[in-house]
Amino acid sequence: MKARLCKPMRKTLVAAGLFAGLSALFCSTLTQAGEALDHIIKSKELRVAVPVDYPPYGYVGPDMVPQGLDIDVANLMAKQLGVKLQLVPVTAPNRVAYLQSGKADFTISSLGKTPEREKVIDYSIAYSPFFDAVFGKTALPVKTMADMAGKTVSVTRGSMQDRELTDMAPEAITKRFEDNNSSISAFLSGQTQMVAIGTTVAAALKQKNPNMDIALKVVLSNAPNYIGMNKNEPELRNKVNEIIRQAKADGTLDAISQKWLGAPAGELPE
Amino acid sequence: MYEFTLWDIARNLLLAMRWTVGLSLIAFIGGGLLGALLVVLRLTGTRFLRRLIMLYVQVFQGTPLLLQLFLVYFGLSMFGLETTALVAASICLTLYASAYLSEIWRGCVESIDNGQWEAASSLALSFSEQMRYVILPQALRAGIAPTVGFMVQVVKATALTSVIGFVEMTRAGQIITNATFQPFFIYGSVALMYFALCFPLSLYSRRLEHSLRR
Repeated sequence: MKARLCKPMRKTLVAAGLFAGLSALFCSTLTQAGEALDHIIKSKELRVAVPVDYPPYGYVGPDMVPQGLDIDVANLMAKQLGVKLQLVPVTAPNRVAYLQSGKADFTISSLGKTPEREKVIDYSIAYSPFFDAVFGKTALPVKTMADMAGKTVSVTRGSMQDRELTDMAPEAITKRFEDNNSSISAFLSGQTQMVAIGTTVAAALKQKNPNMDIALKVVLSNAPNYIGMNKNEPELRNKVNEIIRQAKADGTLDAISQKWLGAPAGELPE
Repeated sequence: MYEFTLWDIARNLLLAMRWTVGLSLIAFIGGGLLGALLVVLRLTGTRFLRRLIMLYVQVFQGTPLLLQLFLVYFGLSMFGLETTALVAASICLTLYASAYLSEIWRGCVESIDNGQWEAASSLALSFSEQMRYVILPQALRAGIAPTVGFMVQVVKATALTSVIGFVEMTRAGQIITNATFQPFFIYGSVALMYFALCFPLSLYSRRLEHSLRR
């Protein structure tokens, strides 16, 4: 086919038009920053991104209704703010996207603190403990990080465990999966020798399948959970921190932790 | 922790199947209509229009549906354009399916020998008459197998809508697995349910092909 002379001009025009349109749209959202708390109070509704595939933090019963530690904390938030709670079920990879695009006010989904995440979202103070560890078959001779060299570990992509493993056991062969369950399935089916998950998840797993050969190998860290929210919302953040501090003081947080994790929340970093 | 009975699992998966079926239908109907329009425009339009449609097809064939869904649902609202998950999924599936279907159908129409067009126009048939009486009946036969093949792909592709919050069969399976820790049983059931949706489609396409061949 013959090229037409006016084609480059058209392209430029289209690009210019697109750019103008997008920047106009972008400006319209900037004006909303800093009003998140007002917005929640006015709309009488708190939209919280919660996990539904992460027991005991968030999972479903036979009626497919979410329950768990994160859901209880979400309920506490809504109650203290005096608004109705709307749960937004999310997956680990898209929980921050829900926040950034304004489709959720908070994310309470066992979110740990990482420097990368801190660049794009703000955190409250911690609301629950979270121990990460590497698990494997009882017979597997692994006792330290160094023992993991050359052995395969499954881990959920973008999770805290992923980061910790990469930092602390760079010699291990990490296989990354999209969600927690895929990581566990990979281990159970023998695709990987070990799996890096939260200790509470492993406990739930063991409770469901008492015969399962899964033993703790190496503790990675205590990476507490924080509530995530959009940047530049100081009023909202102060309010949330105030609610958490109060819940800590009156024992509500300990009670929630006791109910789901079998131990009180204990000392949590601010 | 609650116990899931077999019935709970089956019921929840079947309820989730409604989304798989519904989203597939949206893709078939929306994609089919838009795809047909694109084929006609591509066959009759000016060169500029043809190029534009070609670009459209390349863009939607060349980018993953997962990212299209993500960009339309989350991306647009970052620019202040609110879309619901259903609207975003409908837009993406329609655009995605129309790009593939228009390309499949264009190939089918173009596979008809040029002599057929010439013979038809020598009978003084208009373009629409040529299409209606000469080209389409032949193209239809050639088009059934690839069209149904693509439809089966779309049924499975609806699983990607879980990224924007749909709880369709795959996602429901994931969620239930995470509460029951029985991945092999539940994913196995989900796979069988997909098969139960797709196999009749393939079977019907074979029948249709046979009946058109006679």
